[in-house]
Amino acid sequence: MNISRTLLITFFLSAQTIAVAATPIIKIEIRNHLFYPAEVIVPANQKVKLLIHNTDPTPEEFESYELNREKVIVGNSKAVVFIGPLEQGEYPFFGEFNMSTALGKVIAR
Amino acid sequence: MLIDAVVIILRETLEAAILIGILISISNSVSIKPYWLFLSLTCGIFSAVGYAASLGSISTWFDYVGQEVVNASIQYLIYGCLLATAVLTANSNLRLTFSLKLAMASAATLAMIREGSEIIIFFTGFLSKEHIMAEALTSGFIGLTIGMSVGALCYFSIIACPRKTRMKVQITLLSFIAAGMVAQATQLLIQADWLPSTGQLWDSTGILSEQSTVGQLAYATFGYEATPTPVEVYTYLIALLLIPTAIAISFYRSSPPGNPPLSLEKRNQRP
Repeated sequence: MNISRTLLITFFLSAQTIAVAATPIIKIEIRNHLFYPAEVIVPANQKVKLLIHNTDPTPEEFESYELNREKVIVGNSKAVVFIGPLEQGEYPFFGEFNMSTALGKVIAR
Repeated sequence: MLIDAVVIILRETLEAAILIGILISISNSVSIKPYWLFLSLTCGIFSAVGYAASLGSISTWFDYVGQEVVNASIQYLIYGCLLATAVLTANSNLRLTFSLKLAMASAATLAMIREGSEIIIFFTGFLSKEHIMAEALTSGFIGLTIGMSVGALCYFSIIACPRKTRMKVQITLLSFIAAGMVAQATQLLIQADWLPSTGQLWDSTGILSEQSTVGQLAYATFGYEATPTPVEVYTYLIALLLIPTAIAISFYRSSPPGNPPLSLEKRNQRP
């Protein structure tokens, strides 16, 4: 009983460790209503964690129809958005509050 | 005029306006005076301001996915309120007018908090740009009135339906909007990595793009997604089918033997 419980706990802990270790983190910065980098290269067929830092004092909304993602990021704050697993290709995203300048794309390779 | 502001406010207003249009039409059909809406508007606006003000700190919860979790919770709650609204509207045997008012008022309030907070946050971006604040507010007001006009159009279209089919139209529309809420909430939990993330089930962008006007309307009424994931589709279908099932169960449980159930609409028509 105790052995099986230990094995179960070990399994879940190791599975979680693998899951955490396997998710790459990609950093994006919003500065003067622009994304840096504007082209984000991510591994295809894998879940990716985007860490977006809005360094502007104004809010922004990270949005992408292709990625099915939408998130408000208030001024001077950080946000996490998980994307994927994506097939190889390009997935445009934009800052909805500054649509003319805040443009970028995720490139899955 | 700032076209961006018109589009953003229109998009945020559309879904809530259509939902509120349907709820007022239900209120009208079952002869409930729409006073609950004033309460909703007051609570909705104040709560949206409060939510917008605290969104910065909420976003840091649960390792920076608090926004998704809270928004998904709001949308699941709206679904619950709409499910209750559908059952209480369809089945008059329940005779729970106060509960129906409460369910409709809660759904409208929550929808306003969800959409209103994003509108408020958008305008806070103009606080440091006073020279275009007036222009942004005017443009936003145009977006708001277009959104409200669509809601009004929805209301009048439903009211124009013959009495016999009106309730079916209301329940059907409400069911699709409610299921759309669940799909959006599920999508948010996938975005937060609280639900498993998998590849898309299909891509119907070629048939109907989410960015098009019709696509936006379909998103607001049916929760349309051009590239949905399997989890989203399954939860959507379950949420959609749960409403007629709940109505059927409520009829089964509340109907006295040998006495066919009446809808609230029909009951109110009695002398």
